[in-house]
Amino acid sequence: MKENRNPMGNVYVTHRAIATIAYQSAIESYGVVGLAAKNFAEGIAHVLVKDPTLGVEVDFDGQKIEIDLYIVVEYGTRIKMVAESVSSNVQYRVEKIVGIPVERVNVHIRALRISDTD
Amino acid sequence: MINTVYKDALAIDGQTFKAMIAAALTWLKTNQQIVNSLNVFPVPDGDTGTNMVLTMQAAYNEIQNSEENNIGKIAHAVAQGALMGARGNSGVILSQIWRGFARGLDSLEKMDAAILTKALVEAKITAYKGVVRPVEGTILTVIKDIATASENIKEQPEIDEILEILVRAADVSVLHTPELLPILKQAGVVDSGGKGLFFIIEGFLKFLRGESLDTSTAIMVQPLALMEGNEMENIEPGQDFEVVIDFRPSQTFNLEKFYADLEEIGTSIQVGEGDGIYRMHIHVPTENRYAPIDYTMTSGTITKVYIENLLDQMENKVKESNQTLSLAEVEPGQIAVVVVSPGKGLSKIFASLGAAAVVEGGQTMNPSTEEILHAFEDLPTDKIIILPNNKNIFLAATAAKESTVKHVEVLPSNTVPQGLAAMLRLDPYSDLDDVFEDMKEALTEVDTGEITVATRSVTINEVDVKEGEAIALLNSQLVCAANSVNSACLSLLDKVDLSEKERFTFFYGVNISKDDVNTIIESVREKYPDMEVELHEGGQPHYQFIISIE
Repeated sequence: MKENRNPMGNVYVTHRAIATIAYQSAIESYGVVGLAAKNFAEGIAHVLVKDPTLGVEVDFDGQKIEIDLYIVVEYGTRIKMVAESVSSNVQYRVEKIVGIPVERVNVHIRALRISDTD
Repeated sequence: MINTVYKDALAIDGQTFKAMIAAALTWLKTNQQIVNSLNVFPVPDGDTGTNMVLTMQAAYNEIQNSEENNIGKIAHAVAQGALMGARGNSGVILSQIWRGFARGLDSLEKMDAAILTKALVEAKITAYKGVVRPVEGTILTVIKDIATASENIKEQPEIDEILEILVRAADVSVLHTPELLPILKQAGVVDSGGKGLFFIIEGFLKFLRGESLDTSTAIMVQPLALMEGNEMENIEPGQDFEVVIDFRPSQTFNLEKFYADLEEIGTSIQVGEGDGIYRMHIHVPTENRYAPIDYTMTSGTITKVYIENLLDQMENKVKESNQTLSLAEVEPGQIAVVVVSPGKGLSKIFASLGAAAVVEGGQTMNPSTEEILHAFEDLPTDKIIILPNNKNIFLAATAAKESTVKHVEVLPSNTVPQGLAAMLRLDPYSDLDDVFEDMKEALTEVDTGEITVATRSVTINEVDVKEGEAIALLNSQLVCAANSVNSACLSLLDKVDLSEKERFTFFYGVNISKDDVNTIIESVREKYPDMEVELHEGGQPHYQFIISIE
């Protein structure tokens, strides 16, 4: 639960809310074709999840947010660039919407999806 | 491996394509700062142009020393280079575009128009595969629109003519991006990645035409296009004219003083700089419209001046907004009605009755099957009823029904009044077949009168008609001819069995003056005091009046 003090009272933002924002901006990022469950065994890591909290981990130390994303990337894209872009997308959106600084976004590539072979 | 017969004259081989890529790279570089200046999404870092240039550079490096003349192989090398060198989000998308493009070319020796289309479509498909939820109003939209434009080209002998069409499509698509992506509109820019892709395609065209690639012809902002529909609801006093001036500042140029002096002249002042050229933007009252030019002359060398009358723009905007249709929104599972309407006024009336899509067309301007198909294909429901509202369009509508997987029924409405009567029976939440039967029943409950002018002398149904005479049709049958529209109306109504009718609704066309309309309506009201007489703007061509009798 995050807390934002303001003159009218306290505003609480749940981990889940932040995970949802992160999830949405992640799947809008180019090259990301899905999020994978972070806790599943290696063998089924490619299972795409619809529930944001399964593919996103949110950590808050009272000052700053740290986010871990478990993504599946389209085969044939430059992974490093996709990761950089998803990370900056997520950071930008979460900071903009929630107003709490995002210290880091760790991007874990859990799988590649091969939709075409050249 | 595809074997395609192509005409050599139109085909592009590997080495030509290599030179085209080089040209695209050069042209993109020339316009790099313009693309950079557009960057606002999602992070305002302003490097889309640079990223795309670096990606294209990597692509070109891959083929720079190649002697290969097989365009398929060159394209695959381009894709490989773009992939390895992809920089930034736009670079990644661009690399996917090249990957799809290369796949479309397979290992063909040369590329002709048909193959170009195939490659562009592949490029679009591959680009869209790279993201779960594509954001429209971006480079994705632009490649999609380019591919669509290419598919729509039927016969075009020269490859540069084809590219010209594609460049134009890209341009239109880029200008439209703020309408699709609100953040662009807020920032008052078009999408940067899309603009970059536009420059790449334009580079191809410029190469084929042998035009110079070193000097940018584009302007940094396009005030007119960008303001479209944006913050233009009102013009404040003293903002009658917009003046934009590009100039090279003199040695003694002082930006602060320049700003201060401009503030004496007008408002909304912006000054931007790029490659040694300054662009100044200001709003001024009518009497000051030349003052910014005179003043800027003292601060440097003017290269371009651009003046727009905002008052006029405003008026046009008001006019246009009056004409926008508010179509019914359909949800999945609902019934959507597609109507063919011959005029703007009628379109509006159909929309107000719950039409989900309107296709323009009617007498002598029959819409194609494709246009009808397009109107409903993207609607989020699979229950469709089409109202052709004209006998001649029934076939096209039926063909549209046969070329879709959606459940489509075509109502045999032969006239606009029949279509309107049917619309009143629409219950979008009900069963499609029931609604369709209901609407069909409504067709018989209305009589249709149409008044037009004979284009030739003829005798039909024992009515003698001379060219130029006003003629009246009752339920599409010629019933009388007269020397004026007024008397044609009156004698038409004379021939209708009015025992169970209570209302005439007149829809007047574009070819009759408002005064004539009023005179005629008056005489109808006088002659039929017991009938309700309504009048609406129909906006249809050819017919002075379409009359619904119910």
